[in-house]
Amino acid sequence: MSRNEIRIAGAGGQGVVTAGRILAEAAILCGRAATHSQAYGPQARGGASRSDVVIDTEAIGFPLADEVDLLVILNSDAYLRYQPELGERGHLIIDGDCAPEHLSRHLCDSNVTKYPVVEKARLLSGGQLVAGIVALGVVQAFANVVDTEALREAVATGVPARHKELNLKALEAGMQLVGGVRA
Amino acid sequence: MNRTELIQGNEACALAAVAAGCRFFGGYPITPSTGIAEQMVRLLPDAGGVFVQMEDEIASMAAVIGASLAGSKAMTATSGPGFSLMQEHIGYAVMAEVPCVIVNVMRGGPSTGRPTAPSQGDVMQARWGTHGDHPAVVLAPSSVGEVYELTVRAFNLAERFRTPVIVLYDEIIGHTRESVVLPGSVDVVDRIKPDVEPEQFWPKAPAANGVPPMPAFGDGYRFHVTGLTHDQRGFPTEDSALTGALMTRLNNKVDDHVDEIVQVERFMLDDADVAIFAYGIVGRSAREAVQRARTMGIKAGMIRPLTLWPFPDVQVAAVAEQVDAMIVAEMNLGQLIGEVQRASGGRTEIVGHLRADGEPITPSQLLTELTDRNEAAR
Repeated sequence: MSRNEIRIAGAGGQGVVTAGRILAEAAILCGRAATHSQAYGPQARGGASRSDVVIDTEAIGFPLADEVDLLVILNSDAYLRYQPELGERGHLIIDGDCAPEHLSRHLCDSNVTKYPVVEKARLLSGGQLVAGIVALGVVQAFANVVDTEALREAVATGVPARHKELNLKALEAGMQLVGGVRA
Repeated sequence: MNRTELIQGNEACALAAVAAGCRFFGGYPITPSTGIAEQMVRLLPDAGGVFVQMEDEIASMAAVIGASLAGSKAMTATSGPGFSLMQEHIGYAVMAEVPCVIVNVMRGGPSTGRPTAPSQGDVMQARWGTHGDHPAVVLAPSSVGEVYELTVRAFNLAERFRTPVIVLYDEIIGHTRESVVLPGSVDVVDRIKPDVEPEQFWPKAPAANGVPPMPAFGDGYRFHVTGLTHDQRGFPTEDSALTGALMTRLNNKVDDHVDEIVQVERFMLDDADVAIFAYGIVGRSAREAVQRARTMGIKAGMIRPLTLWPFPDVQVAAVAEQVDAMIVAEMNLGQLIGEVQRASGGRTEIVGHLRADGEPITPSQLLTELTDRNEAAR
């Protein structure tokens, strides 16, 4: 693996910024270089939220996402806003509830996968706060970008102690949505 | 012991400042620099330092000058409009020769502009924002790791030359979290104290390197501090010879040590026939564009100043001598491109790749610039 760009986008309150930060921390635990950036603006409360992670085996050049390899979308606003920026060979993971009936023309079924991420988060916590961590589980099972054990460790240390068990459960649930991490 | 951490540029700046010996922060929070103040609030009390949130940026800079005169290494951090408000007192620090560090995390301007958007619109202000002929030392890191290194260096240069030093980076570097190896310890330079008896002390009598030794208030040396043109005893003068001597000495502190102060990164330049001149975050894009262009057989290279002021005249001239064209990429409408033209002296074609719409210049954009030029040259 060389450079890998992952973007998680959704609404404020879905935990996408925390999820991105944790993924970057996990990459560092695996000895990789990582950067994390987030949409920063007046929309930080309530509106759209976005988290970009760049992971590389070597030192990272441009620290922001330039051609997204894996785009995770957790609400329909984020879909409209970010799907045009998906790289040519990029893959879209989209929450089942917000997937539009007709995908944009440049997307075809082979590079789009739907998972019930937000629904799973609701089942686990009664709200959407762990949606980002469920999404992280999906990302890990789908793309295997970091060591799973490192990701568990980063989740355990990256969330408030009282929410540790819930978030670890959310991570496992996300991985199970894909059918577990590929060997 | 070295340790790897995932931190923002603003956090790295604060950690570096404390490692370099900073024990006073006076500031007023403003996006996108606020992260520095937030970290200093956490770090300084434990380090035995003082954090003061002042009423505005004018007072912040005044507090920094006062703290430094009292013997503390002192800094402030600001953005956009706050940097404008600090200019008068930055000039005072130049004139009174008060070591201090000012960090400006650049955002879109003019005025309140785009508080959350990156920009490189303050590079000329960092040089000429305060009035009168004056030296300027301005450092421009391009990564979180370099924010750490250059913030330490800023304190060391400020102490060595008794002059304000400005660290200039943009919103992206300030807010992006990046894995960085933090050193267990850093080399620290402290201001030279006088070694004469208090009765023989002239506060502005320079040592051999042009820099007067500097006691702290309370050390037992009596001295007067003024923004007025002054003599070696530190008192105002209207004598033209003394005025000229002071102006020359203030500016020569920097001009005579350009080789020591200026740092540039040369990347893949040895056989390049086209070069990108870029600094700060754009240097990251340029580096990647050059690497990709090389895989396509284009002989591209990059020159990246880590020191914007004093401007790296000699280094830019050497590149201009060699390449057919130099692309100046900056996130403003053309500020350092004028300096590149001046330093190049007509020896190469200078092309601007300028952007001031609140978005970064990306590697893809610079690669397109390189490939388009390559096509046209065929």
